[in-house]
Amino acid sequence: MSLNSNMDEVRSQFPILERVLPSGKKLIYLDNAATSQKPEAVINAMNDYYTNYNSNVHRAVHTLSGEATEAFELARKSVANWFGLPSGGMVLFTSGTTDALNLCALGWAKVNLSSGDSILLTEMEHHSNIVPWQMLAKEKNLELRWVNVDSETYQLDLEDYKSKINGVKLACIIHTSNVLGTRNPVEELVKIAHDSGAKIILDCAQAAAHEKLDMKEINADFLAVTSHKMCGPTGIGALLISPGIFEEMEPVIGGGDMITEVFKEYSNYQENEHKFEAGTPRIAEAIGWSAAINWMDELDMKAAHQHTLNLAKNAAEGLKKISGIKVYGDHSKDDISGVVSFLHETLHAEDIAHMLDSMGIAVRTGHHCAQPLMRRLGVTATNRASFYFYNTMEESNAFIDAVKSIVERFA
Amino acid sequence: MSKWSEKIQEIIDDFSEALDQMERYEMLFEYAEEIDELDSSEWTNNTRVVGCQSEAHIVVEFGENGFHLRGSSDSQIIQGLMAITAIALEGLTPEEVTGFSPNFVSEMKVLETLTPNRANGFLNMFLRIQDDAREMLG
Repeated sequence: MSLNSNMDEVRSQFPILERVLPSGKKLIYLDNAATSQKPEAVINAMNDYYTNYNSNVHRAVHTLSGEATEAFELARKSVANWFGLPSGGMVLFTSGTTDALNLCALGWAKVNLSSGDSILLTEMEHHSNIVPWQMLAKEKNLELRWVNVDSETYQLDLEDYKSKINGVKLACIIHTSNVLGTRNPVEELVKIAHDSGAKIILDCAQAAAHEKLDMKEINADFLAVTSHKMCGPTGIGALLISPGIFEEMEPVIGGGDMITEVFKEYSNYQENEHKFEAGTPRIAEAIGWSAAINWMDELDMKAAHQHTLNLAKNAAEGLKKISGIKVYGDHSKDDISGVVSFLHETLHAEDIAHMLDSMGIAVRTGHHCAQPLMRRLGVTATNRASFYFYNTMEESNAFIDAVKSIVERFA
Repeated sequence: MSKWSEKIQEIIDDFSEALDQMERYEMLFEYAEEIDELDSSEWTNNTRVVGCQSEAHIVVEFGENGFHLRGSSDSQIIQGLMAITAIALEGLTPEEVTGFSPNFVSEMKVLETLTPNRANGFLNMFLRIQDDAREMLG
């Protein structure tokens, strides 16, 4: 599927993009960093599962269970292949990125870190990569160190990272910012962490939507990923672990499916991914995610991202020309994601968002679960328009015109 | 109550006749300017309306002339809703305020244009006013 040659064909596979809102306006969906829309292939795959072979996976011997188990475990292989999992690595299914980060905190860090050990975070982190570590730090008396963000360049302070990594046991870093669009130099950050003896987990919630991540190339110890920002369903993600990590982890949740034997006194656990997936897993969601991966495998991801970039850059440039608007993020760079955060000097972000909504344009507003970053930027909230490959230049321009008309009318 | 109903009815009619939601927002912005504004230097945890997405602060006063509201918000939409509430309740006794229904805002078709969070923000503000009135009643 060539995006450039057949953009209409790509877009037509997302039925929701034809939605007309109660206001009578046609939807312009620019909240893709919160969640992406889903192509028919994903909707159909989940519908097919529930229609034809809905069944619980693993232990049963009947036909439906066999089909469901096969599809579920095939989904695990799809995820492993898509993310370039190295041999010996594992895909531990979770409910999403937040759950994956918590699994790393409780399943690995809680076991392997001791009182007085240090964890390195950055001011760019989403709350999901902050709060689990704060909770663990409180429980285990750990030190949390913070890498500064430069509020002018919107980049991580690399020198600060280098100086603070010394002695750290685990670095927890966002791959691509959900507020600024900044893509951190993760390959370099991983190398520096490993050179200093630290392990590193990357929050790839945003990144996985825009580039084909390869865990072998990135070489991080853990990747936390989610399905729903890359055209898959909500409710499923994964903690991807590199070889050797599994043996260092302990299960966080006990229950069915994660054991080999249960006695009154103790239980023996499985020695595979199921050890960390107690209970009935997210079967339909895994099948949906697998369908999304298969669908995206047909897409020219580089062309798709270039298209997204063009839309975001166009929007950022357009917004900058509107009196009183400040855009956050360096959209001159080519490795930025599709987000455009902005704020007007007098109009409240929420007021702008409500007005855009009444014009059919969906954007996000608030602190974007990144309050330390908001404080570094000196704001409490921003508006955020986030583009994806199925958006069009007409939509990007309509968005600029809408903001312009709001400012002219209300500021 | 009747003198207030007339005032509010007039506002309800104005909003109902608005061409579209953008015009309703414009009207809210205009009402926002009419409130007896609480300067941001007076904002404290006691004045903050909990549950609003934006910063919203109010001070409820019951003087010789009955209810009076001072308030402000960094959102003009919420400040506009505050101003209309102030008009609706101006001069009422604590008993009348506690018995007043917030449905006048629904009739204005304003809440329809707001997300549940923002609508809840308005209701939180209204309930906070009624709580203050109840305290006056002892």
